[in-house]
Amino acid sequence: MRRALASFALFASLAGAGANPALAQLGSMDAPAKAKSYVLYAAEQQSVPAGKRGVLELRFHLVQGYHVNSHTPKSDLLIPTALTLQPADGVKAGPLEYPAGQPFSFSFDPTDKLDVYAGDFTIKLPVVATAGAHTVDGALRYQACDHASCYPPRTLPVQVVFTAK
Amino acid sequence: MRRVLLLFMMVAGISLVLWSGWHNLRERRRAMQMQQEARVTLIPDTSNTAADSPAAQSPLRGKPAPAFTLMDLAGKKVSLSDFKGHPLVVNFWGTYCAPCKLEMPWLEEFSHKYAADGFEVVGVTYDAEVGKDTISKDAQKLGVTYPILLSDPKAEKDYLSDSEVLPMSFYVDKTGKVIEVTAGLGPKDDLEAMVKETIAAGANR
Repeated sequence: MRRALASFALFASLAGAGANPALAQLGSMDAPAKAKSYVLYAAEQQSVPAGKRGVLELRFHLVQGYHVNSHTPKSDLLIPTALTLQPADGVKAGPLEYPAGQPFSFSFDPTDKLDVYAGDFTIKLPVVATAGAHTVDGALRYQACDHASCYPPRTLPVQVVFTAK
Repeated sequence: MRRVLLLFMMVAGISLVLWSGWHNLRERRRAMQMQQEARVTLIPDTSNTAADSPAAQSPLRGKPAPAFTLMDLAGKKVSLSDFKGHPLVVNFWGTYCAPCKLEMPWLEEFSHKYAADGFEVVGVTYDAEVGKDTISKDAQKLGVTYPILLSDPKAEKDYLSDSEVLPMSFYVDKTGKVIEVTAGLGPKDDLEAMVKETIAAGANR
């Protein structure tokens, strides 16, 4: 009887642990609820072939009404959107591929065209990784504006989670 | 007895697995819902005159402009009291701020156009940490000749409170009272009208 109860307790704790990885995964998503975030990112589980070149897609979402400079703004005085990644064991990362921006001008000066991201944008990350689960940490630096105002540059933590199979 | 116990344990185990799956699903849905809700609350003001905009909320309107002493690009101290008796615009801007750079040449133009009325403009650089060289280069490119100062935490607290919106302008009449506060870029004509109001305010005192 005692053995039976012990095995029941073990089973219960395993079942409980089974629930945890999913919660941990949720915890790894960047909380979008911070009042002054203008760009949102949620880690998506992706997979690439082990030992071969694969491309990960990092999807970002801009809060409605805001835009950020593209990676290649037309003026060197503006802050480009740029992702930096930390080295990770077993992952060889290639140069990031940024999307092209779209033209934008403030209504008070339609002649001055800026190059921006608005809505959703995706940065591609080519990788060659050893078999297994990998996590690459990084940060997206951006500077947001709306139709008439600008906000200080911000850094958004980014966690790229993927499996090489 | 043992069989019954085993059967009971199996039923209990399966129930637990089902429960944990349901619990996961519920947590995931809750997280997604929270994300959706967060997106809704983050939608910005669509007008710089909105009731909850930083300009509308500024406690400075109608109050004496807070005193400041800040460094200019040559390292000289400049104080609000240096502009005593002059209608003045205190304009907070940043080197990263494109709308600020549209507005600054307008302020430069009005500083000359209304110079005979004693009108003056002072620019306060919010991102002073980028350094004097970058700021000087920007100001030169924009053709700005009015004083450009480097902000400090006290001036930001006194004038901007917790707002980080740029540009932000404070229209100070010759008696030193803030008569208008604007956040964000507006039409050039509106800006000129406020300059004229600032000159007219306190004119007969």
